[in-house]
Amino acid sequence: MTLTTSNLRKRPVTPHLDIGRWRAMSGPFKVGSVILVVHAIFAVVGMFWTPYGFAQMATGIPLSGASWQHPMGLDQIGRDVLSRFMYGAHIVLILSFAGTILGMVLGTTLGLLSGYLGGWFDEIVQRLVEAMISIPFLALALVMIIAAGPALAGEPALIVLVVGLVYAPRIARIARAAAMEIATREYVAVAELRGEGTWSIIFREILPNTANVLLVEFSLRLSYAPILIGALGFLGFGIRPPTPEWGLMISENRNLLIASPVTVFGPGLGLASLVIGFNLFTDGLSRMLGQRPVVGA
Amino acid sequence: MTILRLIVSRTLLSVLTLLLVSVIIFLILEALPGDVATRILGRDATAKALEVLRSQLHLDQPALSRYLHWLVDLLRGNLGVSLATGRPVADVLGPRIVNTLLLSLLAFVIYLVLAIVPAIIQATHRGGIIDNAISVLTLLLLSLPDFLLATILLFTFAVAVPILPALATVSEASSWQDTLRAIILPAVTLAIMMAVYAIRVLRDSLIEVLRSDYVRLAELKGLGAYAVLWRHALPNAIVPALNVTALNLGFLIGGVVIVERVFSYPGFGTLLIDALQLRDIPLIKATVMISAVVYIAANLVADICAILLQPRLRAGQ
Repeated sequence: MTLTTSNLRKRPVTPHLDIGRWRAMSGPFKVGSVILVVHAIFAVVGMFWTPYGFAQMATGIPLSGASWQHPMGLDQIGRDVLSRFMYGAHIVLILSFAGTILGMVLGTTLGLLSGYLGGWFDEIVQRLVEAMISIPFLALALVMIIAAGPALAGEPALIVLVVGLVYAPRIARIARAAAMEIATREYVAVAELRGEGTWSIIFREILPNTANVLLVEFSLRLSYAPILIGALGFLGFGIRPPTPEWGLMISENRNLLIASPVTVFGPGLGLASLVIGFNLFTDGLSRMLGQRPVVGA
Repeated sequence: MTILRLIVSRTLLSVLTLLLVSVIIFLILEALPGDVATRILGRDATAKALEVLRSQLHLDQPALSRYLHWLVDLLRGNLGVSLATGRPVADVLGPRIVNTLLLSLLAFVIYLVLAIVPAIIQATHRGGIIDNAISVLTLLLLSLPDFLLATILLFTFAVAVPILPALATVSEASSWQDTLRAIILPAVTLAIMMAVYAIRVLRDSLIEVLRSDYVRLAELKGLGAYAVLWRHALPNAIVPALNVTALNLGFLIGGVVIVERVFSYPGFGTLLIDALQLRDIPLIKATVMISAVVYIAANLVADICAILLQPRLRAGQ
């Protein structure tokens, strides 16, 4: 391998996103983006304005079904389901983003370090990652919540931490594989010869070149976060009531399924459309970046 | 010979992973800073209750010796005593595992049909309306939370069109027809959730294989379309789907928790939730360990199958 100044500047040409070229983007990506924008607007509106208070009781006759005053009906204690649904939108989005970002930061740091350094460090990290992944993620999340104890249970910060910790090993595995490939490139060798430190090489040489893989991974994990958070809420281990996280709402209103189905299917549709938006977005993004998303837990 | 070595080293790795899982579970549940007993019982617990719990969990001993004790007991097959019921964990777990195995088995059979049939239809009608329709449908189902799908199926087939029972309550006294009727809805829910992942992978790999030279050759030899598909294409296309199936088994364990809960089915999943709600540490540890064992074993079997099935891997080693 000869190192000359001419091939030092040459970096591999990787597909990149050009947000300005909306027309050139694939159909699913556009549909996904539109769905996500609608969700974001809905969430912002719900933060500042709802027809009734999200925890306001006795706003009408409980279980009276959909009406003009209450388009999504009322729950068992007379709370307006639409108000709860609207207020919950930003909760679901913020928790999903925060948890996934935490997982990305932890997982990417660990994975890139492991893939670049190799050797015994890599070996240890890999065994730990493997072990963490072997615990079904829902079980792992539930155990962490129990271990945190009753004082912290139901706190948004705990949910974010749990999502981050459940995601981190899965993200680390992807980041490691990407880093191992980049670590053999010439410009990494050059950076080493220049005397750059490990952290500098990881964040300035390797991270930018694994960005495509990591972006798709982020989007993929983000798609699943509302389901994971919803499942925790549904099982009674999520956000503390009366904060209207959508999974919790579905669980609260399950008994009203016959009397007033809209109280369950409303939040259900919200959750499903959000995840569909994320999934279409991920699918389009991965195609445009020439990546294949890794399906599975 | 090399295949054997590959399998042995893969197995040893699984054992090591399992050992690490036990360390992680123990660390999370019992070695976090702060008093374990207070975390289990809450701040309002009386001093006496805390004392009793500490002696039950042997909290007076150092963490390392508690861990080793637990590990040795586990290896001997002694899962400990449930705090909530006072009965041996094995006795509590036994019937629940049988129920969940029954449910999983039925779910798995339905899963195979739901995964293979649509994938074959898609691959043989590539680019057509049916292919696209199934793709859209799988994407929609992929985006549906499992607890919502379970609730929708429950609503449709037990409430709107009441042909199946809403509660999957089974006991040893129920006849096999009743049991089947009770578990069909939860089983279908689990099967759909698993199949949506596999259909995509199986479709893509089938299309790839159908384009390959050996399938061309089989066609040129004059083999019928079905013989080509079943004897030549499917066995080769199934390898990537095997890994998804192993991942799916991991999902199945998580999914079982939700689905059993929705249908009130007395299985392993509802037991885990009960144990968590009652903060029954020995029961939680045993349940999570068993689910990790199942996941690791499933992946091991999938990897070994992949080694044995794929001629390329066999030759390469």
